[in-house]
Amino acid sequence: MWNLIKYSFLAKIRDFSLVFWPLVFPLALTTAMYFSIGQMDESDFEIIPVAVVSHNTEDEELFQKYLTTVEENDNALIDVRSMTEEEAAAALKKGDIDGIFYDGEEPSLTVGGSGLPQSILQMILESYTEGKQTLEDVAALHPERMEAAVSQMSDYGPVTEEVSLGGRTTNTTAQFFYAMIGMACLYGCFIGYRSAMDLQANLSALAARRCASPVHRMGWILSETTVSFSLHFINMLILLAYMKYILRLELTSAYVEMLPAVIIGSMIGVTMGMFITSIGKMGEGVKIGIMIGVSMVMSFLAGLMNADVKNAVDRNVPLLNRINPAALISDALYCLNVYDAPERYMQDIVILSVMCVLLLTGTFLIVRRERYGSI
Amino acid sequence: MIRIENLVKRYGDILALDHFNLEVKEGEIFGLLGPNGSGKTTAINCMLALLKYDRGSIQIMGQDMAPDNYEVKRQIGIVMQDVAVFEELSVHDNIDYFCSLYVKDKNRRKQLVEEAIRFVGLEDYRKIYPKKLSGGLLRRLNIACGIAHKPRLIILDEPTVAVDPQSRNKILEGICELNRQGSTIIYTSHYMEEVEQICTRIAIMDHGRSIAVGTKEELKSMIKTGETVTIEAVILGVDDLADIRNLPHVFDVKYEDQRLVVRCIGAKHNLIHILGCLQEKDIPFGRVFSELPTLNDVFLEITGKQLRD
Repeated sequence: MWNLIKYSFLAKIRDFSLVFWPLVFPLALTTAMYFSIGQMDESDFEIIPVAVVSHNTEDEELFQKYLTTVEENDNALIDVRSMTEEEAAAALKKGDIDGIFYDGEEPSLTVGGSGLPQSILQMILESYTEGKQTLEDVAALHPERMEAAVSQMSDYGPVTEEVSLGGRTTNTTAQFFYAMIGMACLYGCFIGYRSAMDLQANLSALAARRCASPVHRMGWILSETTVSFSLHFINMLILLAYMKYILRLELTSAYVEMLPAVIIGSMIGVTMGMFITSIGKMGEGVKIGIMIGVSMVMSFLAGLMNADVKNAVDRNVPLLNRINPAALISDALYCLNVYDAPERYMQDIVILSVMCVLLLTGTFLIVRRERYGSI
Repeated sequence: MIRIENLVKRYGDILALDHFNLEVKEGEIFGLLGPNGSGKTTAINCMLALLKYDRGSIQIMGQDMAPDNYEVKRQIGIVMQDVAVFEELSVHDNIDYFCSLYVKDKNRRKQLVEEAIRFVGLEDYRKIYPKKLSGGLLRRLNIACGIAHKPRLIILDEPTVAVDPQSRNKILEGICELNRQGSTIIYTSHYMEEVEQICTRIAIMDHGRSIAVGTKEELKSMIKTGETVTIEAVILGVDDLADIRNLPHVFDVKYEDQRLVVRCIGAKHNLIHILGCLQEKDIPFGRVFSELPTLNDVFLEITGKQLRD
C-alpha cells in the first residue's frame, strides 16, 4: 500500500496539469486579483489634492479649521493647498489638483471633472454646509472637541472605510478572495480526473494494467483517494499561506477555523472530478470541458468575477447558492471572518458535508466496478 | 493452463466473440493471429476478468477466472497493446511500481527489477522518463513492467506495434527467452511473420471465432496451396494461360500487369514444369520466385480475404 501511495503521489505532483490547474492557476489568479482588485482601496482613495482660495472673511476661519481637521484625520483624504484664484485655476487645468474650495460665508467647490475624488470633495463640502451651525457652536464652546465633531458630521466615511459586522477583517475585497478559495477547492477536480483515469480500466490502458494486478479494488480506491485528497489539501494550504504570508492579505484572523471548510471543499472538488470522469462515454476533452465549465460557473455565481453576482443570486435565487459548493465555501469563510456568524458557518459546513458524502457515495458506486461492459 | 469454452461477448449489436474456444497448454508460446477487429484483445480482456461477457467460461490454471481471483492474477503478467506506464515515473520506478503490485518483499523486488531492466536492455535508461524514450525503448519498458515479477503466464497483446526492426527482434528474442525460463506465453498479433517465427501453436481468429488452431505446419497442411510461383515481366496470351492452367498440380492462375502468379498443390518440380512450359513456347520472362504457403495463405483460403484487409 505504501508503494501505491508513494508512486501515485509522485506521479501526480510531476503531472504538469495537476500542478498548474489546482495550484499554479489559483496562485496566479490570486496574485492578479491582489494587484488589481486587492489594491483598489489604495489606488481609489489616494489623498486628493485640493486648493483652497481664501477671501479673508470671518467664516473662512471656521471652514479652514474644518478642512485642516479633515486633512489631519487618521484616514486623511485630502491635501489642502492655499492658493490664489489664478494659481488654483491653473493647477486645476494642469490636473495638479482635483478641485478648488472657495471659502467665505457660503463656501463653494469647483472641480475639473467627475469621479470618486470629486464626489468625496463634494461630500466634504456638503458635510460642512449641513453642520456649519454645530461646528460654530463647538468652535466657540469646546474648540478641543472640534476634531471629534468633524468626524461625527462627516458622512463620507462609509465610502472610504468598511467595518465588518463582526468587527474582524475590514478588507472590502475579502469576498473576492473567499470566492477564489472556493474556486481553488473546486479545481481539485483535475486531480480527481487523473485519479479516475488511473482507476477505471475502461478509461486508460494504465488503469487496465493496474486492474489486472492482484491488488484488491478497495486498496486501489483508498490509495487513490487518500493521495488525491491529501495532495489537494496541501495545494489549498499553500494557497492560504501565500495569501497570508506573501500577499499579507487581511482576510481573516481565523485561519485554523477556516480549515474544515477548506478540507471539505477540497474533497468535493476532487470527488467531483472523479465523478464526472467516471460517468458516461464522453471523450476526455468533453469531460475536462465539463469540469472547467462547472467549476467556473459555480465560482462566477459565488462572486469570483463580481461580488454583486453572488448578492444578486442570494437575493433572487437563494437556493442556487445553497447548493453551489463554491458559494457555500465562500459564504462559510465570509461568515467566519466578516459576519462572525458561527451558526451560518456551521450550516454551510453541514450542507457541504452532505454534498461531499453524496458525491463520494455516487463516485464509489461507479469506481468500485471491477468488470466493464467495454474497454 | 487456459481453457475457454463458448465465450460470447457482444457490444450492443456487434458480436465481438462468437462462441470462442481456446485451449493453451503449459509451456507453449501460443499465438492468437487475426486481423484488426477479429476479437483478439476482447478475448484477452475477458481472460483478465476486465470485461463482462455474455456467455461461456474461462479457466486459468485450473480455476475459474474472476476479478477477485487474486491467486491466479498474481501469476499473470500482462503487456497491453497500448503502452501502459506512468509518464511521470522513471524507467526504474515504473518497473518497481508494477513489480510491487505482485511482490511485497523489498529485497526480492529489487533483484527482480534489476533483472527486468537487464532483460529488456534498458540499463542505460534507468533514470530516464518515458517521454524521452524512443518508440522501441518504450515498448521494451512496457514489457519489463509486465514481466518483472516472473509470472507463470504472460499475455502480450500486440507488443511490437510501431516498433523498429531492431527493437522488434530484441522483443521477440526476449519472448522466446521468457518461455525457456518457464513462462507460458500468449502472443497476439496481426503480423503473421512474427507469429510464425516464435509461436509453437497458433489460433487464427476472424469475426470473434477461432477458425483454425494448430502448429504452423498443421495450419499450412489444412489448405490446398503447397507452393506459389511468381514470374515477372512475362507476356502471355489466352492460350498460354490455358496451357499453364492445365499443368499438373496447378489449381489457380492469376495474370496481371505482366506478372504471373501460379498456385500449386504441394508437389515436387512445380517450378520446373511451369518454366519448361514457357521455354517450350519460347516466351521470355524476368525474375522468378517460388514461395511456400504462409499463414496469410491459410487465412486467405479459409476466409477468402487477406489477413491485413
